Amino acid sequence: MLMPKKTAHRKHHRGRTRGNAKGQTDVAFGEYGIQALEPGWITSRQIEAARIAMTRHIKRGGKVWINIFPDKPVTEKPAETRMGSGKGNPEHWVAVVKPGRVLFELSYSDPEVARAAIDRAIQKLPIRARFIEREEGF
Amino acid sequence: MPPMDEIVLTAATGRTIGTRPSRRLRTGGDIPAVVYGLDQDPVTVTVEWPDLRRAITTDAGLNAVIQLEIDGARQLSIVKDIQRHPVRRDVLHVDFIRIDPDRAVVVEVPVVFVGEAEEVINNDGMVDQNMFSLTISSTPANIPTGIELDISALTIGDSLRVSDLVLPQGVTTEVDPEDAVAVAMITRSTLDAIAAEEEAAAAALAAELGEEGIEGAEGAEGGEGAEPSGDDGEADASDE
Repeated sequence: MLMPKKTAHRKHHRGRTRGNAKGQTDVAFGEYGIQALEPGWITSRQIEAARIAMTRHIKRGGKVWINIFPDKPVTEKPAETRMGSGKGNPEHWVAVVKPGRVLFELSYSDPEVARAAIDRAIQKLPIRARFIEREEGF
Repeated sequence: MPPMDEIVLTAATGRTIGTRPSRRLRTGGDIPAVVYGLDQDPVTVTVEWPDLRRAITTDAGLNAVIQLEIDGARQLSIVKDIQRHPVRRDVLHVDFIRIDPDRAVVVEVPVVFVGEAEEVINNDGMVDQNMFSLTISSTPANIPTGIELDISALTIGDSLRVSDLVLPQGVTTEVDPEDAVAVAMITRSTLDAIAAEEEAAAAALAAELGEEGIEGAEGAEGGEGAEPSGDDGEADASDE
C-alpha cells in the first residue's frame, strides 16, 4: 500500500478542495488514462484496488502508471468514544484529487482491452472519472 | 511525410484584456489570442472558434503554418501554445508566434511508430514509447507532419534512440542523440502475472497429485482390506 516513508506532521487538517487541477491534466506517459471529474480523497487502498483491477484485466504486455500519491493522513476516533480528548489517531492515507487530474495511465497495444481495464479500475474509485486518450496534436 | 500547406485565419484586434471580458468572448464563440515574435510588439487578438478549429485540424496538426490576417495585413505565424480547460477540454486561449519564411523555427513534431514489433509481442513484451514528440528546427515550409520510426525489428531489451530517427531534408534537432525513443521491455506487471500463473499452475498440479495419492491410498486400503498404506505398510511387511 502506498504511504509516505516519513512526514513532517503526523496529523493534517482536512482542508477544502476548490477549483480544478492546475497540472497533470493530460496523459503524459502512456496512451490512455483515467481523469477525475470531481474532487475527492482517494485512499491508498482504493489506488491499489484500481491498479490491481487494471493489471489483472490486461494480464500481460501492458504498463500502468500511478500519477497520484496518498500523502495526507486521515485520523479517526475509536468507536464508542466520547467527543473531546483531542484529535483521533492516523488511520489511513489519502490523495487529494481535483477535477481534471489524470490519476492513472496505461499503455497497451489493444485499445478495446485497455478501455475495459480502465472501466474496471474506475469502478474502484470513490469519485466520477472518465477514460481519456493521449491527445495527438489537436 | 510531406510538408504542410498554408491556411488563412482572420484575427480581430482591439479586445479588452482580463478574465471577465475573455469569458464573455468565449461565451460568444470567440477565442482570445495573442500574437508575438520577430522582435515586434505583442498584439492581443480574437479568433473565431470554427475558423481556428479548421486551421489546426489539418494533417499538419498544431504546426500548421497560418497566414494570420490582422487588420487587413497578413502575417505568417504558427500556434506556439494552446490553453485548454482541464475537464471540458475546450480551447481557452491561443498563442501565435510570428515566423519568417526564410528563418528556421523550433517546433515539436509527433514521433509515429510504423510496423509491429512481432517478436516483442510474441514474448509478452511491449514497446514503451519514451518520446512522443521531437523538438526540431526547420524552415516553415519544411516542417514535417510527423517523424516515422520503424519498430518492427525490435527485440526484448532493445531500444531505438534519437540517432535512429530519419529526419527529412532541412530538418535538424538538438535533442541528445542518445535519448531513447522506444524501448522494448517486459514490464513488472507482466512478470508478476507470469509468476502468479506459474504459481497457480504449480498449486493446481500439487493438489492434483495429492488427490491422486489419497485416491490411490484409499484404493489400496479397499482392495487389500486391513493392509495399511505407504511407508507404514512397507514397514509392517518387513516386520512380518
